[in-house]
Amino acid sequence: MIKDITLGQFFPGNSLLHRLDPRIKIILTILFIAIVFLAKSTLSYLLVLAFTIALIIISGISFKTVLKSLKPIVFVLIITSALNIFWTVGDDLIFSFWIIDIYAEGVNFAILMVLRITSLLIGTSVLLTYTTSPIMLTDGLERLLAPLKAIKVPVHEFSLMMTIALRFIPTLIEETDKIMSAQKARGADFTTGSIISRAKALIPVLIPLFISSFRRADELATAMECRCYHGGDGRTKMNTPHLKVIDILTVSVFIVICVIIVMLNRFA
Amino acid sequence: MNAIELKNISYTYSRGTPFERLALDDVSVSFKAGIITGLMGHTGSGKSTLVRLFNGLEKPENGTVSIFGEDIWQKPKEIRKYRFKVGLVFQYPEYQLFEETVKEDISYGPKNMGLDNSEIDRRVRDAAELCRIDSALLEKSPFDLSGGEKRRVAIAGIMAMQPEILVLDEPAAGLDPRGREEIFDGIRDYKSSKNATVIIVSHSMEDMAKYSDEIAVMNNAKIYMHDTKEAVFKRAHELCEIGLDVPPIAYFSKELADLGLPVSESFYSVEACVDALDTLFNAN
Ligand SMILES: Nc1ncnc2c1ncn2[C@@H]1O[C@H](COP(=O)(O)OP(=O)(O)OP(=O)(O)O)[C@@H](O)[C@H]1O
Ligand SMILES: [Mg+2]
Repeated sequence: MIKDITLGQFFPGNSLLHRLDPRIKIILTILFIAIVFLAKSTLSYLLVLAFTIALIIISGISFKTVLKSLKPIVFVLIITSALNIFWTVGDDLIFSFWIIDIYAEGVNFAILMVLRITSLLIGTSVLLTYTTSPIMLTDGLERLLAPLKAIKVPVHEFSLMMTIALRFIPTLIEETDKIMSAQKARGADFTTGSIISRAKALIPVLIPLFISSFRRADELATAMECRCYHGGDGRTKMNTPHLKVIDILTVSVFIVICVIIVMLNRFA
Repeated sequence: MNAIELKNISYTYSRGTPFERLALDDVSVSFKAGIITGLMGHTGSGKSTLVRLFNGLEKPENGTVSIFGEDIWQKPKEIRKYRFKVGLVFQYPEYQLFEETVKEDISYGPKNMGLDNSEIDRRVRDAAELCRIDSALLEKSPFDLSGGEKRRVAIAGIMAMQPEILVLDEPAAGLDPRGREEIFDGIRDYKSSKNATVIIVSHSMEDMAKYSDEIAVMNNAKIYMHDTKEAVFKRAHELCEIGLDVPPIAYFSKELADLGLPVSESFYSVEACVDALDTLFNAN
């Protein structure tokens, strides 16, 4: 159950997307979101769809895995399309029964909406979370936001906090699973009974979880101090990534697609 | 009579993702009632996974798990009753303690069984005694205990449910020889006083030589050997091949035999070695 979450998971690999500079990938993601929202005509939507599929292929992640990650939003998709189909009023009535009127515009809009949401989710996950390790991601964010240090924003500290939080999410999930099994082995019952008794049943899980989190935070702090960690000032990186030709090239491709989308919008 | 019987069990972690991993591969094995069986195997061979199937914490993809002849997945809704028949102590169980006092923590399992207070109290005292927990410790917070004491409290928490089958995953990992002995002696006492079946996952050949009756060895998601401990230790060569070893004292026994000395039979524990040497000296 808990261990089957794939949304926001990193898949190690060596594709073009894996090798791009994390800063560039953050910028690409913003561009991708712009592309999705700029698209207004059917033709431009088709391009967005093709582009999303191309990204999946380039990333080397199997379609099955990507589609499985959509499972949690299936419900959202159904509600959105239902709302659009039943509540859009247009000129082209295609179906009418009792108080239900369905217009071609509504169906059209629903399809576009579903396409928009899925490509948005797939595109951003393939560009960022699936192909960038959390450490690279926060590193890229820190370097991208570095100029804000001038106005005293503690960029380094924020990114460190984020790195640590991200790093410990899988550990915490694993630990929760373990403690839950251990208490189940002692006869704990998390699935039946009233809400109150179920909430009470969680106490034997939460207390050990909190205690081990505090212990872990304490150990981590000690370990960092032992290695003379003293905050961001004067700290240098072991591997400073430099922008490569391929990085610039990819950004250019994205910008070109942006422009094409805007033009396709006009033609429709 | 077999206490636990597994037939054609397979189990895969993270099926359908790039992290897919076959942890149990068509395993069929049965554990005899009333004895201590040691479950051994190198890291990642699937021991913990196997053990989690015994009380229905995990459901196998295919195959059946039977406890005293009953298929436990016959009625999935009633799976909880097997948690009380098969007591499972996890690896590093000290992290599951949560109550304010040691006594309350040990009573958590019996309380979940719906026993009345006097019975719970009786069982807690009994389990504490078996696990060598001083009665002064019972009123202390479990978080103020030493690592070894916490471990014993966690084991007592399972023993207090008085399961017919007691399964322990690495109960003595990370403890000193004295701490290990206290835990294993407690387990042995539990077995004889409750006439229970015990399965111990362990990496220590010496401990298993001393405490177990039979040994099952796992390798690469399969059961590789399952026999009396004497028969298993005779196959030292094969054990070495899969990254395990026989107790060092067994090599000594073989050396003596190779020298042509009349040692009656091979021995695997220090006590047996002392006895054998005694008879040797007395004979000369
Ligand atoms: N939660 C999990 N998710 C994915 N794979 C797992 C998980 N737990 C175990 N595995 C894998 O299944 C295999 C068997 O693991 P298991 O914990 O049963 O080994 P083990 O014999 O108990 O090892 P050890 O002696 O180190 O405790 C290992 O290769 C492990 O990597
Ligand atoms: Mg294990």
